Amino acid sequence: MSDINSTNARTLGRCFCIITGASKGFGWVLAHQVSHYLKPGSVLLLVARTGTLLQELKEELQSFTEDQNLVVHCITADLSTQDGVNETVRVARQESLKEIDHVLLINNAASLGDISRFASFTNLDQVNSYLSFNVSSALALTAGILQVFPPRAGLRWSVVNCSSVFAVQAMPSWVLYCTAKSARVMMFRVLAEEEPNVKVLSYSPGPMDTEMQEDILRLTGISYHLLPCKESAAKLMKVLLENKFASGSHIDFFEV
Amino acid sequence: MQSAECGDLGRALCIITGASRGFGRTTAREMSRLVKPGSAFVLVARSGDDLRALQAELAESEAGRAGVVVQCVVADLGLMEGVESVVKAAKEAFSEDIDHIILVNNAASLGDVSRYARSFTNMAEVDSYLSLNVSSSLCLTANTLQAFPQRPGLRRSVVNISSLCALQPFSSWVLYCTGKAARDMMFKVLAEEEPDLRVLNYAPGPLDTDMHMVARSRTADPSIKKSLSDMFSQGQVLTCEASCAKLMKLLLEDNYTSGAHIDVYDV
Repeated sequence: MSDINSTNARTLGRCFCIITGASKGFGWVLAHQVSHYLKPGSVLLLVARTGTLLQELKEELQSFTEDQNLVVHCITADLSTQDGVNETVRVARQESLKEIDHVLLINNAASLGDISRFASFTNLDQVNSYLSFNVSSALALTAGILQVFPPRAGLRWSVVNCSSVFAVQAMPSWVLYCTAKSARVMMFRVLAEEEPNVKVLSYSPGPMDTEMQEDILRLTGISYHLLPCKESAAKLMKVLLENKFASGSHIDFFEV
Repeated sequence: MQSAECGDLGRALCIITGASRGFGRTTAREMSRLVKPGSAFVLVARSGDDLRALQAELAESEAGRAGVVVQCVVADLGLMEGVESVVKAAKEAFSEDIDHIILVNNAASLGDVSRYARSFTNMAEVDSYLSLNVSSSLCLTANTLQAFPQRPGLRRSVVNISSLCALQPFSSWVLYCTGKAARDMMFKVLAEEEPDLRVLNYAPGPLDTDMHMVARSRTADPSIKKSLSDMFSQGQVLTCEASCAKLMKLLLEDNYTSGAHIDVYDV
């Protein structure tokens, strides 16, 4: 509750919000934080491969927001496939009859990929598969949702790209992750150039206490000082609520 | 030991993709003049006819007559078999006298610039683009590094033909910008990992090629389309030769910071 007061009662409006990779980690926490700032009549679409986890999240969210009329839909979809992307767009289209004043798409779903030396990536299919999920899917989904809710003056439209310091900093053995994150930042910068009625934000959340970070530890032996997801999500909320960021910019947790 | 002092690239095995026309073809020609006899070229493209014409031209050239061997590989680098066939040819072209491996990742495509990002709802189209423009250069480079591991007496240089689009977004160019940005980062990671490897992200500038012709006729964004056309009609587009000369200078001097992005106008 104090969060709302500290941001001068700014909200995300009557919002149609889509969060991918919502079943755990940063996506899960974002769903909670976002829901605090959604006005009645908002719709929240949670997308992940594991329906049971999404259902748990939905129940938690609705237990907090009973009087807010928050509509939550869980979409069990594998966003590494066209079918998964199409299903998400289909549900968005189905629910889009509701009157909303803000569309918020949070492209959070991603994978770590193999952390190995560059010279080990001799298999084209492996690299293609990684880029398909981490780059192509985000573009296809964003394009699909833009078509469901065509941007126009008077409709607030926000796209978040969950980025990384590795989008801007080259890290040995991280070629797949660095390459995909860099690709995404540029992809969303082009979107920002093209769409004057859409605000595009690449947000680098810092190293957080997630399963992905456990994988990083297991694969590299390197442990970072980890941030609680809540702390990073709160900063993203602050940036979105203040809404002063330049479209296309890349903002890191440590800069906010 | 450093060939830069002798003004040549050594006895080199040069692998050049997209060699059938445009910048790739010019690179093959210019590089052939800068390598010592006993060097070998592996030229890769989808167009067999154009490659063979280039091969014949190089065979008749001074370099060819002095003993530079040229092999053609007709391959689609967007496919695994394509990448494999290049590495196979490179291994066959290699001899123990070779003291420099040079891989020029030049093959690329513009992507459909007549459309905006919001139209790219089909993952397969984006996948296909990334396969040729990103994955294939990663895999080809990885395979080449494995085929020719580091050893004393062997220099290895990897060039990524980059673009201003790797650094700056352009409306209606989402695929091209995304691919070029991805490649720059990819090769920066390589440079970080392999200190003995020379890695260069070279942005050749606007070139008088088929790619530029497609760009200026099909770009959806009106102001970008206009500036491309104006650039062309005002003679501000560079010849491949002029830009390639700068690339050759960088390679000969060999002073660039590995992993750096260097633009033709920086040289």
